[in-house]
Amino acid sequence: MTARPHLFALAAIVVAGLLAALGVRSAVVLDLVFTLLLYAVLGQSWNWISGYAGNISFGHAIFFGCGAYASALCVTHGLSPWLAIPAGALAAALLALVTGFPTLGLRGHYFSIATIAVAALVEVFVRTSPALGKANGFELPIASGWAAMQFPQKGPYVMLALALFAIVQLATIALERSRLGYYLRALRANHAAAASVGIDERRYKLIAFAWSAAMAAAAGVLYAQYTLFVDPPSTIALAVSIDIALIGVVGGIGTLWGPLAGALVYVVLAKAVALRMGGTGKGYDLVIYGAIICVIAALRPYGIVGTIVDALRRRRGASVAVPTAGTAA
Amino acid sequence: MSSLLEVRGLAKQFGSLRALDGVDLDVAQGSLTGLIGPNGAGKSTAFACIAGAEKPTAGSVRFRGDEIAGLAYHRVAALGIGRTYQIVQTFADMTVLEATTTGALLHHPRLADAIAHAEEVLAFVGLADMRYRLGRALTIADKKRLEMARALATQPALLLLDEVMAGLTPAEAHDAVDLLRRILARGVTVLMVEHVMEVLMPIAEHVVVIAAGKTIFSGTAADAVRDAGVVEAYLGSPLEHGEITGHAT
Repeated sequence: MTARPHLFALAAIVVAGLLAALGVRSAVVLDLVFTLLLYAVLGQSWNWISGYAGNISFGHAIFFGCGAYASALCVTHGLSPWLAIPAGALAAALLALVTGFPTLGLRGHYFSIATIAVAALVEVFVRTSPALGKANGFELPIASGWAAMQFPQKGPYVMLALALFAIVQLATIALERSRLGYYLRALRANHAAAASVGIDERRYKLIAFAWSAAMAAAAGVLYAQYTLFVDPPSTIALAVSIDIALIGVVGGIGTLWGPLAGALVYVVLAKAVALRMGGTGKGYDLVIYGAIICVIAALRPYGIVGTIVDALRRRRGASVAVPTAGTAA
Repeated sequence: MSSLLEVRGLAKQFGSLRALDGVDLDVAQGSLTGLIGPNGAGKSTAFACIAGAEKPTAGSVRFRGDEIAGLAYHRVAALGIGRTYQIVQTFADMTVLEATTTGALLHHPRLADAIAHAEEVLAFVGLADMRYRLGRALTIADKKRLEMARALATQPALLLLDEVMAGLTPAEAHDAVDLLRRILARGVTVLMVEHVMEVLMPIAEHVVVIAAGKTIFSGTAADAVRDAGVVEAYLGSPLEHGEITGHAT
Protein backbone atom coordinates (compact mmCIF):
# COMPACT_ATOMS: atom_id res chain seq x y z
CA MET A 1 0.00 0.00 0.00
CA THR A 2 2.52 2.57 -1.07
CA ALA A 3 0.92 5.95 -1.33
CA ARG A 4 4.31 7.40 -0.42
CA PRO A 5 5.73 8.17 -3.90
CA HIS A 6 2.50 9.94 -4.77
CA LEU A 7 2.57 11.95 -1.57
CA PHE A 8 6.20 12.95 -2.22
CA ALA A 9 5.34 13.98 -5.77
CA LEU A 10 2.40 16.01 -4.52
CA ALA A 11 4.52 17.67 -1.83
CA ALA A 12 7.11 18.58 -4.46
CA ILE A 13 4.45 20.11 -6.66
CA VAL A 14 3.00 22.07 -3.73
CA VAL A 15 6.45 23.42 -2.80
CA ALA A 16 7.22 24.35 -6.40
CA GLY A 17 3.84 26.00 -6.73
CA LEU A 18 4.29 27.98 -3.53
CA LEU A 19 7.72 29.17 -4.65
CA ALA A 20 6.19 30.26 -7.94
CA ALA A 21 3.29 32.01 -6.20
CA LEU A 22 5.65 33.89 -3.89
CA GLY A 23 8.66 34.44 -6.12
CA VAL A 24 7.50 34.75 -9.70
CA ARG A 25 6.53 38.24 -10.79
CA SER A 26 5.50 37.44 -14.34
CA ALA A 27 1.72 37.59 -14.63
CA VAL A 28 1.89 35.46 -17.77
CA VAL A 29 3.65 32.61 -15.99
CA LEU A 30 1.37 32.79 -12.96
CA ASP A 31 -1.68 32.82 -15.20
CA LEU A 32 -0.33 29.70 -16.87
CA VAL A 33 0.22 27.96 -13.53
CA PHE A 34 -3.22 28.94 -12.25
CA THR A 35 -4.91 27.70 -15.43
CA LEU A 36 -2.90 24.50 -15.34
CA LEU A 37 -3.94 23.74 -11.75
CA LEU A 38 -7.57 24.66 -12.37
CA TYR A 39 -7.76 22.40 -15.42
CA ALA A 40 -6.01 19.62 -13.51
CA VAL A 41 -8.69 19.87 -10.80
CA LEU A 42 -11.46 19.81 -13.41
CA GLY A 43 -9.82 16.88 -15.15
CA GLN A 44 -9.56 14.98 -11.86
CA SER A 45 -13.17 15.77 -11.02
CA TRP A 46 -14.17 14.32 -14.39
CA ASN A 47 -11.83 11.39 -13.81
CA TRP A 48 -13.76 10.24 -10.74
CA ILE A 49 -16.96 9.47 -12.59
CA SER A 50 -15.63 9.01 -16.11
CA GLY A 51 -12.18 7.52 -15.49
CA TYR A 52 -12.50 5.39 -12.38
CA ALA A 53 -16.20 4.61 -12.73
CA GLY A 54 -16.19 4.58 -16.53
CA ASN A 55 -19.27 6.74 -17.18
CA ILE A 56 -18.03 9.29 -19.73
CA SER A 57 -19.55 12.68 -18.94
CA PHE A 58 -19.86 15.34 -21.63
CA GLY A 59 -21.73 17.70 -19.37
CA HIS A 60 -19.24 18.34 -16.62
CA ALA A 61 -19.21 22.09 -17.22
CA ILE A 62 -22.59 22.42 -15.51
CA PHE A 63 -20.97 21.44 -12.20
CA PHE A 64 -18.14 23.88 -12.83
CA GLY A 65 -20.89 26.40 -13.56
CA CYS A 66 -22.61 25.67 -10.24
CA GLY A 67 -19.50 26.96 -8.48
CA ALA A 68 -18.96 29.92 -10.80
CA TYR A 69 -22.57 31.03 -10.50
CA ALA A 70 -22.64 30.40 -6.74
CA SER A 71 -19.68 32.73 -6.49
CA ALA A 72 -21.32 35.38 -8.68
CA LEU A 73 -24.58 35.14 -6.73
CA CYS A 74 -22.87 35.30 -3.34
CA VAL A 75 -20.76 38.30 -4.26
CA THR A 76 -23.54 40.24 -5.98
CA HIS A 77 -25.81 39.58 -2.98
CA GLY A 78 -23.26 40.85 -0.52
CA LEU A 79 -22.25 37.44 0.80
CA SER A 80 -18.74 36.07 1.21
CA PRO A 81 -17.39 34.23 -1.84
CA TRP A 82 -16.02 31.64 0.60
CA LEU A 83 -19.63 30.65 1.21
CA ALA A 84 -19.87 29.87 -2.50
CA ILE A 85 -17.53 26.91 -2.08
CA PRO A 86 -19.85 24.82 0.14
CA ALA A 87 -22.99 26.25 -1.49
CA GLY A 88 -21.77 25.63 -5.04
CA ALA A 89 -20.43 22.20 -4.15
CA LEU A 90 -23.71 21.24 -2.52
CA ALA A 91 -25.75 22.49 -5.48
CA ALA A 92 -23.50 20.60 -7.88
CA ALA A 93 -23.69 17.41 -5.81
CA LEU A 94 -27.49 17.63 -5.69
CA LEU A 95 -27.62 18.23 -9.44
CA ALA A 96 -25.39 15.18 -9.91
CA LEU A 97 -27.61 13.03 -7.68
CA VAL A 98 -30.82 14.12 -9.41
CA THR A 99 -29.46 13.68 -12.93
CA GLY A 100 -27.34 10.63 -12.09
CA PHE A 101 -30.13 8.61 -10.49
CA PRO A 102 -31.92 7.79 -13.74
CA THR A 103 -28.85 7.91 -16.02
CA LEU A 104 -25.88 6.28 -14.26
CA GLY A 105 -27.15 2.79 -15.01
CA LEU A 106 -27.23 3.51 -18.74
CA ARG A 107 -24.75 1.44 -20.72
CA GLY A 108 -22.29 2.41 -23.39
CA HIS A 109 -22.70 5.84 -24.92
CA TYR A 110 -26.18 6.42 -23.54
CA PHE A 111 -24.93 7.97 -20.34
CA SER A 112 -22.74 10.36 -22.32
CA ILE A 113 -25.69 11.38 -24.48
CA ALA A 114 -27.80 11.92 -21.38
CA THR A 115 -25.13 14.21 -19.88
CA ILE A 116 -25.09 16.29 -23.07
CA ALA A 117 -28.89 16.57 -22.93
CA VAL A 118 -28.89 17.55 -19.26
CA ALA A 119 -26.17 20.14 -19.85
CA ALA A 120 -28.10 21.61 -22.77
CA LEU A 121 -31.20 21.91 -20.58
CA VAL A 122 -29.21 23.59 -17.81
CA GLU A 123 -27.71 26.02 -20.30
CA VAL A 124 -31.14 26.98 -21.66
CA PHE A 125 -32.38 27.41 -18.09
CA VAL A 126 -29.50 29.70 -17.19
CA ARG A 127 -29.74 31.71 -20.40
CA THR A 128 -33.41 32.44 -19.72
CA SER A 129 -33.32 32.90 -15.96
CA PRO A 130 -33.21 36.58 -14.89
CA ALA A 131 -31.92 35.62 -11.45
CA LEU A 132 -28.91 34.00 -13.14
CA GLY A 133 -28.16 36.95 -15.39
CA LYS A 134 -29.61 35.34 -18.53
CA ALA A 135 -27.15 35.27 -21.43
CA ASN A 136 -25.21 38.26 -20.14
CA GLY A 137 -24.03 36.64 -16.94
CA PHE A 138 -22.41 38.57 -14.13
CA GLU A 139 -19.55 40.97 -13.68
CA LEU A 140 -18.30 40.60 -10.15
CA PRO A 141 -17.72 43.84 -8.23
CA ILE A 142 -14.05 44.51 -7.64
CA ALA A 143 -12.72 44.08 -4.15
CA SER A 144 -9.45 43.06 -2.56
CA GLY A 145 -8.16 40.78 0.17
CA TRP A 146 -8.58 37.25 1.44
CA ALA A 147 -12.08 37.88 2.81
CA ALA A 148 -13.26 38.89 -0.66
CA MET A 149 -11.14 36.17 -2.32
CA GLN A 150 -9.86 38.75 -4.77
CA PHE A 151 -6.29 39.91 -5.22
CA PRO A 152 -4.51 42.51 -7.29
CA GLN A 153 -1.66 40.05 -7.94
CA LYS A 154 -1.96 36.54 -9.23
CA GLY A 155 0.20 34.88 -6.55
CA PRO A 156 -2.63 34.30 -4.03
CA TYR A 157 -4.82 32.83 -6.77
CA VAL A 158 -2.07 30.33 -7.53
CA MET A 159 -1.94 29.45 -3.83
CA LEU A 160 -5.69 28.86 -3.75
CA ALA A 161 -5.58 26.74 -6.88
CA LEU A 162 -2.63 24.85 -5.44
CA ALA A 163 -4.56 24.17 -2.23
CA LEU A 164 -7.56 22.91 -4.17
CA PHE A 165 -5.36 20.79 -6.40
CA ALA A 166 -3.64 19.26 -3.36
CA ILE A 167 -6.96 18.47 -1.68
CA VAL A 168 -8.33 16.88 -4.83
CA GLN A 169 -5.17 14.82 -5.38
CA LEU A 170 -5.18 13.67 -1.74
CA ALA A 171 -8.84 12.72 -2.07
CA THR A 172 -8.01 10.74 -5.21
CA ILE A 173 -5.07 8.98 -3.52
CA ALA A 174 -7.53 8.04 -0.77
CA LEU A 175 -10.10 6.96 -3.38
CA GLU A 176 -7.62 4.56 -4.97
CA ARG A 177 -7.12 2.97 -1.57
CA SER A 178 -10.74 2.74 -0.56
CA ARG A 179 -13.68 0.45 -1.04
CA LEU A 180 -15.30 3.11 -3.25
CA GLY A 181 -12.27 3.20 -5.56
CA TYR A 182 -12.12 -0.58 -5.92
CA TYR A 183 -15.86 -0.78 -6.49
CA LEU A 184 -15.80 1.91 -9.18
CA ARG A 185 -13.00 0.15 -11.05
CA ALA A 186 -14.85 -3.15 -10.76
CA LEU A 187 -18.04 -1.57 -12.09
CA ARG A 188 -16.13 -0.05 -14.99
CA ALA A 189 -14.52 -3.37 -15.83
CA ASN A 190 -17.64 -5.53 -15.60
CA HIS A 191 -20.88 -4.40 -14.01
CA ALA A 192 -22.44 -7.88 -13.90
CA ALA A 193 -19.44 -9.45 -12.21
CA ALA A 194 -19.38 -6.47 -9.85
CA ALA A 195 -22.98 -7.10 -8.85
CA SER A 196 -22.10 -10.75 -8.23
CA VAL A 197 -19.77 -9.69 -5.42
CA GLY A 198 -22.44 -7.51 -3.87
CA ILE A 199 -21.66 -4.10 -5.39
CA ASP A 200 -24.66 -1.80 -5.64
CA GLU A 201 -23.90 0.02 -8.90
CA ARG A 202 -26.28 2.93 -8.47
CA ARG A 203 -25.23 3.66 -4.92
CA TYR A 204 -21.48 3.78 -5.51
CA LYS A 205 -21.72 5.62 -8.81
CA LEU A 206 -23.99 8.25 -7.27
CA ILE A 207 -21.47 8.79 -4.48
CA ALA A 208 -18.66 9.19 -7.02
CA PHE A 209 -20.75 11.48 -9.22
CA ALA A 210 -21.68 13.73 -6.31
CA TRP A 211 -18.04 14.10 -5.18
CA SER A 212 -16.96 14.65 -8.75
CA ALA A 213 -19.52 17.44 -9.18
CA ALA A 214 -18.56 19.06 -5.87
CA MET A 215 -14.89 19.24 -6.91
CA ALA A 216 -15.76 20.83 -10.23
CA ALA A 217 -17.89 23.40 -8.39
CA ALA A 218 -15.01 24.35 -6.11
CA ALA A 219 -12.91 24.98 -9.22
CA GLY A 220 -15.77 27.10 -10.56
CA VAL A 221 -15.66 29.37 -7.52
CA LEU A 222 -11.93 29.98 -8.00
CA TYR A 223 -12.46 30.63 -11.68
CA ALA A 224 -15.17 33.22 -11.04
CA GLN A 225 -13.05 35.01 -8.44
CA TYR A 226 -10.11 35.01 -10.85
CA THR A 227 -11.81 36.27 -13.99
CA LEU A 228 -14.52 38.29 -12.17
CA PHE A 229 -16.80 37.47 -15.04
CA VAL A 230 -19.28 34.60 -15.30
CA ASP A 231 -21.45 33.89 -18.32
CA PRO A 232 -22.78 30.73 -20.02
CA PRO A 233 -20.14 30.36 -22.79
CA SER A 234 -17.23 30.59 -20.35
CA THR A 235 -18.65 28.22 -17.73
CA ILE A 236 -21.48 25.85 -18.65
CA ALA A 237 -21.26 25.58 -22.45
CA LEU A 238 -20.75 22.25 -24.20
CA ALA A 239 -17.32 23.43 -25.39
CA VAL A 240 -16.16 23.70 -21.76
CA SER A 241 -17.51 20.22 -21.01
CA ILE A 242 -15.60 18.82 -23.95
CA ASP A 243 -12.38 20.54 -22.88
CA ILE A 244 -12.73 18.95 -19.44
CA ALA A 245 -13.32 15.52 -20.91
CA LEU A 246 -10.41 15.85 -23.34
CA ILE A 247 -8.02 16.75 -20.52
CA GLY A 248 -9.07 13.59 -18.75
CA VAL A 249 -8.71 11.43 -21.84
CA VAL A 250 -5.36 12.81 -22.98
CA GLY A 251 -3.77 12.47 -19.57
CA GLY A 252 -5.06 8.98 -18.95
CA ILE A 253 -8.45 7.92 -17.69
CA GLY A 254 -8.59 6.33 -14.27
CA THR A 255 -5.06 7.40 -13.31
CA LEU A 256 -4.01 9.64 -10.43
CA TRP A 257 -1.69 11.94 -12.42
CA GLY A 258 -3.45 11.74 -15.76
CA PRO A 259 -5.51 14.92 -15.32
CA LEU A 260 -2.40 16.97 -14.48
CA ALA A 261 -0.60 15.57 -17.53
CA GLY A 262 -3.64 16.27 -19.71
CA ALA A 263 -3.94 19.81 -18.36
CA LEU A 264 -0.24 20.39 -19.00
CA VAL A 265 -0.55 19.35 -22.64
CA TYR A 266 -3.66 21.47 -23.01
CA VAL A 267 -2.25 24.64 -21.45
CA VAL A 268 1.20 24.41 -23.03
CA LEU A 269 -0.27 23.75 -26.44
CA ALA A 270 -2.71 26.63 -26.24
CA LYS A 271 0.03 29.03 -25.07
CA ALA A 272 2.63 27.84 -27.55
CA VAL A 273 0.30 28.26 -30.48
CA ALA A 274 -0.85 31.66 -29.25
CA LEU A 275 2.76 32.83 -28.83
CA ARG A 276 4.00 31.57 -32.19
CA MET A 277 1.06 32.56 -34.27
CA GLY A 278 -0.48 35.37 -32.28
CA GLY A 279 -4.02 36.38 -33.15
CA THR A 280 -3.85 34.80 -36.59
CA GLY A 281 -3.22 31.38 -35.11
CA LYS A 282 -6.51 31.18 -33.31
CA GLY A 283 -7.84 27.66 -33.53
CA TYR A 284 -4.57 26.00 -34.52
CA ASP A 285 -4.11 24.69 -30.99
CA LEU A 286 -7.47 22.97 -31.31
CA VAL A 287 -6.40 21.37 -34.58
CA ILE A 288 -3.21 20.02 -33.01
CA TYR A 289 -5.12 19.01 -29.91
CA GLY A 290 -7.67 17.20 -32.05
CA ALA A 291 -4.85 15.31 -33.76
CA ILE A 292 -3.43 14.25 -30.37
CA ILE A 293 -6.86 13.01 -29.30
CA CYS A 294 -7.15 10.94 -32.48
CA VAL A 295 -3.74 9.37 -31.90
CA ILE A 296 -4.54 8.59 -28.26
CA ALA A 297 -7.96 7.21 -29.06
CA ALA A 298 -6.48 4.96 -31.73
CA LEU A 299 -3.26 3.82 -30.08
CA ARG A 300 -3.21 4.61 -26.37
CA PRO A 301 -6.68 4.59 -24.87
CA TYR A 302 -5.24 4.97 -21.37
CA GLY A 303 -3.55 8.26 -22.23
CA ILE A 304 -0.14 9.57 -21.25
CA VAL A 305 -0.02 8.27 -17.69
CA GLY A 306 -1.62 4.95 -18.63
CA THR A 307 1.09 4.46 -21.22
CA ILE A 308 3.85 5.19 -18.69
CA VAL A 309 2.34 2.77 -16.15
CA ASP A 310 2.11 0.15 -18.88
CA ALA A 311 5.75 0.69 -19.88
CA LEU A 312 6.87 0.31 -16.23
CA ARG A 313 4.85 -2.86 -15.99
CA ARG A 314 6.52 -4.27 -19.09
CA ARG A 315 10.00 -3.33 -17.91
CA ARG A 316 9.57 -5.13 -14.64
CA GLY A 317 8.13 -8.15 -16.38
CA ALA A 318 4.59 -9.40 -16.37
CA SER A 319 4.98 -11.58 -13.30
CA VAL A 320 5.74 -8.64 -11.03
CA ALA A 321 3.47 -6.15 -12.72
CA VAL A 322 3.11 -2.78 -11.05
CA PRO A 323 -0.30 -2.72 -9.42
CA THR A 324 -2.23 0.26 -10.68
CA ALA A 325 -3.63 1.20 -7.33
CA GLY A 326 -3.68 0.29 -3.73
CA THR A 327 -2.27 -3.18 -3.53
CA ALA A 328 1.43 -2.67 -4.03
CA ALA A 329 3.40 -4.88 -1.71
CA MET B 1 -29.68 -32.05 6.69
CA SER B 2 -31.77 -28.97 6.12
CA SER B 3 -32.10 -27.23 2.77
CA LEU B 4 -30.02 -24.12 2.34
CA LEU B 5 -31.65 -23.41 -1.00
CA GLU B 6 -35.15 -24.38 -2.06
CA VAL B 7 -36.35 -23.65 -5.56
CA ARG B 8 -39.97 -24.31 -6.49
CA GLY B 9 -41.72 -23.91 -9.83
CA LEU B 10 -39.10 -21.55 -11.20
CA ALA B 11 -40.13 -20.15 -14.58
CA LYS B 12 -38.52 -17.63 -16.89
CA GLN B 13 -39.98 -16.24 -20.05
CA PHE B 14 -37.83 -14.34 -22.58
CA GLY B 15 -40.37 -12.84 -24.97
CA SER B 16 -42.06 -15.84 -26.54
CA LEU B 17 -39.39 -18.26 -25.35
CA ARG B 18 -40.08 -20.16 -22.16
CA ALA B 19 -36.52 -20.86 -21.00
CA LEU B 20 -37.60 -22.28 -17.62
CA ASP B 21 -40.90 -23.94 -17.05
CA GLY B 22 -41.01 -25.38 -13.57
CA VAL B 23 -37.58 -26.02 -12.08
CA ASP B 24 -37.56 -27.51 -8.59
CA LEU B 25 -34.38 -28.13 -6.71
CA ASP B 26 -33.06 -28.41 -3.17
CA VAL B 27 -29.54 -27.88 -2.02
CA ALA B 28 -28.78 -29.37 1.37
CA GLN B 29 -26.59 -27.41 3.75
CA GLY B 30 -22.97 -28.46 3.31
CA SER B 31 -23.56 -30.57 0.22
CA LEU B 32 -22.30 -30.46 -3.32
CA THR B 33 -25.30 -30.63 -5.59
CA GLY B 34 -24.98 -30.98 -9.33
CA LEU B 35 -27.33 -29.34 -11.80
CA ILE B 36 -27.07 -31.05 -15.14
CA GLY B 37 -28.94 -31.22 -18.39
CA PRO B 38 -28.36 -31.20 -22.10
CA ASN B 39 -27.43 -28.05 -24.01
CA GLY B 40 -30.18 -25.48 -23.92
CA ALA B 41 -31.99 -27.14 -21.00
CA GLY B 42 -31.98 -23.89 -19.05
CA LYS B 43 -29.17 -24.56 -16.56
CA SER B 44 -27.54 -21.17 -16.90
CA THR B 45 -30.90 -19.39 -16.87
CA ALA B 46 -31.85 -21.23 -13.68
CA PHE B 47 -28.53 -20.15 -12.24
CA ALA B 48 -29.07 -16.55 -13.26
CA CYS B 49 -32.52 -16.56 -11.64
CA ILE B 50 -31.18 -18.00 -8.39
CA ALA B 51 -28.25 -15.57 -8.25
CA GLY B 52 -30.49 -12.61 -9.05
CA ALA B 53 -28.90 -11.74 -12.39
CA GLU B 54 -32.29 -12.42 -13.98
CA LYS B 55 -35.71 -11.94 -12.43
CA PRO B 56 -37.78 -15.13 -12.64
CA THR B 57 -41.20 -14.82 -14.24
CA ALA B 58 -42.72 -17.11 -11.63
CA GLY B 59 -41.75 -19.44 -8.85
CA SER B 60 -40.01 -19.20 -5.55
CA VAL B 61 -36.36 -19.20 -4.49
CA ARG B 62 -35.80 -19.62 -0.78
CA PHE B 63 -32.36 -19.13 0.70
CA ARG B 64 -32.01 -19.97 4.41
CA GLY B 65 -35.81 -19.94 4.44
CA ASP B 66 -36.16 -16.41 3.07
CA GLU B 67 -37.73 -15.64 -0.28
CA ILE B 68 -35.10 -14.06 -2.55
CA ALA B 69 -36.68 -14.41 -5.99
CA GLY B 70 -36.63 -11.05 -7.75
CA LEU B 71 -34.19 -9.37 -5.36
CA ALA B 72 -31.55 -7.10 -6.92
CA TYR B 73 -28.46 -9.00 -8.02
CA HIS B 74 -26.08 -7.28 -5.62
CA ARG B 75 -28.43 -7.90 -2.68
CA VAL B 76 -28.51 -11.64 -3.35
CA ALA B 77 -24.71 -11.61 -3.36
CA ALA B 78 -24.67 -9.68 -0.09
CA LEU B 79 -26.99 -12.29 1.47
CA GLY B 80 -24.37 -14.97 0.89
CA ILE B 81 -24.68 -16.42 -2.60
CA GLY B 82 -21.49 -16.26 -4.63
CA ARG B 83 -21.15 -17.33 -8.22
CA THR B 84 -18.86 -17.88 -11.17
CA TYR B 85 -19.77 -17.47 -14.82
CA GLN B 86 -19.86 -20.02 -17.61
CA ILE B 87 -18.02 -17.49 -19.78
CA VAL B 88 -15.42 -16.07 -17.45
CA GLN B 89 -16.12 -12.51 -16.34
CA THR B 90 -12.95 -11.08 -14.88
CA PHE B 91 -12.20 -7.49 -13.95
CA ALA B 92 -9.77 -7.30 -16.87
CA ASP B 93 -7.59 -4.41 -15.79
CA MET B 94 -7.31 -5.43 -12.16
CA THR B 95 -4.60 -7.64 -10.78
CA VAL B 96 -5.56 -10.99 -9.30
CA LEU B 97 -5.15 -9.56 -5.80
CA GLU B 98 -7.19 -6.45 -6.59
CA ALA B 99 -10.05 -8.48 -8.07
CA THR B 100 -10.13 -10.81 -5.08
CA THR B 101 -9.89 -7.84 -2.72
CA THR B 102 -12.94 -6.37 -4.44
CA GLY B 103 -14.85 -9.47 -3.38
CA ALA B 104 -13.43 -9.35 0.14
CA LEU B 105 -14.54 -5.72 0.59
CA LEU B 106 -18.13 -6.93 0.96
CA HIS B 107 -17.53 -8.02 4.54
CA HIS B 108 -14.26 -6.17 5.21
CA PRO B 109 -14.93 -2.50 4.50
CA ARG B 110 -11.38 -1.47 5.50
CA LEU B 111 -9.04 -2.03 2.58
CA ALA B 112 -6.19 -3.41 4.69
CA ASP B 113 -8.50 -6.08 6.16
CA ALA B 114 -9.91 -6.87 2.74
CA ILE B 115 -6.43 -7.29 1.25
CA ALA B 116 -5.43 -9.58 4.12
CA HIS B 117 -8.53 -11.71 3.59
CA ALA B 118 -7.96 -11.75 -0.18
CA GLU B 119 -4.37 -12.96 0.37
CA GLU B 120 -5.74 -15.84 2.46
CA VAL B 121 -8.27 -16.79 -0.21
CA LEU B 122 -5.62 -16.63 -2.95
CA ALA B 123 -3.38 -18.93 -0.95
CA PHE B 124 -6.35 -21.27 -0.48
CA VAL B 125 -7.17 -21.50 -4.19
CA GLY B 126 -3.51 -21.64 -5.20
CA LEU B 127 -3.20 -18.28 -6.95
CA ALA B 128 -0.90 -16.59 -4.43
CA ASP B 129 2.03 -16.56 -6.86
CA MET B 130 -0.06 -14.79 -9.49
CA ARG B 131 -1.40 -12.05 -7.28
CA TYR B 132 0.22 -9.15 -9.15
CA ARG B 133 -0.75 -10.43 -12.59
CA LEU B 134 -3.57 -8.85 -14.49
CA GLY B 135 -6.75 -10.92 -14.64
CA ARG B 136 -6.77 -10.82 -18.42
CA ALA B 137 -3.24 -12.29 -18.61
CA LEU B 138 -4.21 -15.59 -16.94
CA THR B 139 -4.87 -18.96 -18.56
CA ILE B 140 -8.49 -20.14 -18.74
CA ALA B 141 -7.97 -22.50 -15.81
CA ASP B 142 -6.49 -19.70 -13.70
CA LYS B 143 -9.21 -17.26 -14.73
CA LYS B 144 -11.78 -19.76 -13.47
CA ARG B 145 -9.80 -20.11 -10.29
CA LEU B 146 -9.74 -16.32 -9.96
CA GLU B 147 -13.51 -16.23 -10.34
CA MET B 148 -13.79 -18.77 -7.54
CA ALA B 149 -11.40 -16.73 -5.41
CA ARG B 150 -13.38 -13.56 -6.02
CA ALA B 151 -16.63 -15.32 -5.10
CA LEU B 152 -15.11 -17.05 -2.06
CA ALA B 153 -13.72 -13.74 -0.84
CA THR B 154 -17.30 -12.55 -0.31
CA GLN B 155 -17.61 -15.41 2.22
CA PRO B 156 -20.68 -16.97 0.66
CA ALA B 157 -22.75 -19.67 2.34
CA LEU B 158 -23.69 -20.99 -1.10
CA LEU B 159 -21.38 -21.01 -4.08
CA LEU B 160 -22.88 -21.35 -7.56
CA LEU B 161 -20.35 -22.69 -10.05
CA ASP B 162 -21.24 -22.52 -13.74
CA GLU B 163 -19.26 -25.10 -15.74
CA VAL B 164 -15.99 -24.56 -13.93
CA MET B 165 -14.58 -27.70 -15.48
CA ALA B 166 -15.32 -26.83 -19.10
CA GLY B 167 -12.23 -26.32 -21.22
CA LEU B 168 -9.79 -27.65 -18.63
CA THR B 169 -7.10 -30.21 -19.33
CA PRO B 170 -7.37 -33.47 -17.33
CA ALA B 171 -4.64 -32.28 -14.95
CA GLU B 172 -6.36 -28.93 -14.43
CA ALA B 173 -9.70 -30.66 -13.92
CA HIS B 174 -8.08 -32.88 -11.29
CA ASP B 175 -6.82 -29.78 -9.46
CA ALA B 176 -10.25 -28.19 -9.74
CA VAL B 177 -11.90 -31.24 -8.15
CA ASP B 178 -9.36 -31.10 -5.36
CA LEU B 179 -10.16 -27.43 -4.82
CA LEU B 180 -13.89 -28.21 -4.76
CA ARG B 181 -13.35 -30.78 -2.02
CA ARG B 182 -11.43 -28.24 0.04
CA ILE B 183 -14.15 -25.62 -0.50
CA LEU B 184 -16.72 -28.11 0.83
CA ALA B 185 -14.47 -28.90 3.76
CA ARG B 186 -14.59 -25.19 4.64
CA GLY B 187 -18.33 -25.53 5.12
CA VAL B 188 -19.35 -23.79 1.89
CA THR B 189 -22.32 -25.39 0.15
CA VAL B 190 -21.92 -25.79 -3.59
CA LEU B 191 -24.40 -25.92 -6.44
CA MET B 192 -22.61 -26.76 -9.62
CA VAL B 193 -23.79 -26.67 -13.21
CA GLU B 194 -22.11 -29.17 -15.48
CA HIS B 195 -22.83 -30.19 -19.00
CA VAL B 196 -20.70 -33.30 -18.80
CA MET B 197 -22.11 -35.75 -16.30
CA GLU B 198 -18.89 -37.69 -15.76
CA VAL B 199 -17.35 -34.70 -14.04
CA LEU B 200 -20.03 -34.65 -11.39
CA MET B 201 -20.41 -38.37 -10.81
CA PRO B 202 -17.55 -38.80 -8.34
CA ILE B 203 -18.14 -35.62 -6.33
CA ALA B 204 -21.83 -34.75 -6.28
CA GLU B 205 -23.92 -36.30 -3.52
CA HIS B 206 -27.07 -35.15 -5.16
CA VAL B 207 -27.94 -34.47 -8.78
CA VAL B 208 -30.79 -32.50 -10.29
CA VAL B 209 -31.41 -32.98 -13.99
CA ILE B 210 -33.29 -30.43 -16.03
CA ALA B 211 -34.40 -30.72 -19.62
CA ALA B 212 -36.43 -28.27 -21.68
CA GLY B 213 -36.71 -25.96 -18.68
CA LYS B 214 -38.17 -28.56 -16.30
CA THR B 215 -36.75 -30.65 -13.50
CA ILE B 216 -36.96 -34.24 -14.68
CA PHE B 217 -34.90 -35.98 -12.04
CA SER B 218 -33.62 -35.43 -8.55
CA GLY B 219 -31.59 -38.02 -6.70
CA THR B 220 -28.15 -39.60 -6.50
CA ALA B 221 -25.76 -39.45 -9.41
CA ALA B 222 -25.74 -43.25 -9.67
CA ASP B 223 -29.53 -43.32 -10.02
CA ALA B 224 -29.49 -40.45 -12.51
CA VAL B 225 -27.55 -42.42 -15.14
CA ARG B 226 -29.98 -45.31 -14.83
CA ASP B 227 -33.07 -43.13 -15.04
CA ALA B 228 -34.88 -43.65 -18.33
CA GLY B 229 -36.05 -40.05 -18.55
CA VAL B 230 -32.54 -38.70 -18.00
CA VAL B 231 -31.04 -41.04 -20.56
CA GLU B 232 -33.65 -40.01 -23.06
CA ALA B 233 -33.12 -36.32 -22.43
CA TYR B 234 -29.40 -36.67 -22.95
CA LEU B 235 -29.23 -39.25 -25.69
CA GLY B 236 -32.64 -39.13 -27.31
CA SER B 237 -34.99 -42.11 -27.53
CA PRO B 238 -33.51 -45.60 -27.58
CA LEU B 239 -32.44 -46.51 -31.04
CA GLU B 240 -32.95 -49.66 -33.01
CA HIS B 241 -30.11 -52.07 -32.53
CA GLY B 242 -27.24 -51.37 -34.89
CA GLU B 243 -28.41 -47.90 -35.86
CA ILE B 244 -25.34 -46.32 -34.35
CA THR B 245 -21.90 -47.49 -33.62
CA GLY B 246 -19.62 -46.02 -31.04
CA HIS B 247 -20.84 -44.21 -28.00
CA ALA B 248 -22.32 -40.85 -27.44
CA THR B 249 -21.94 -38.70 -24.41
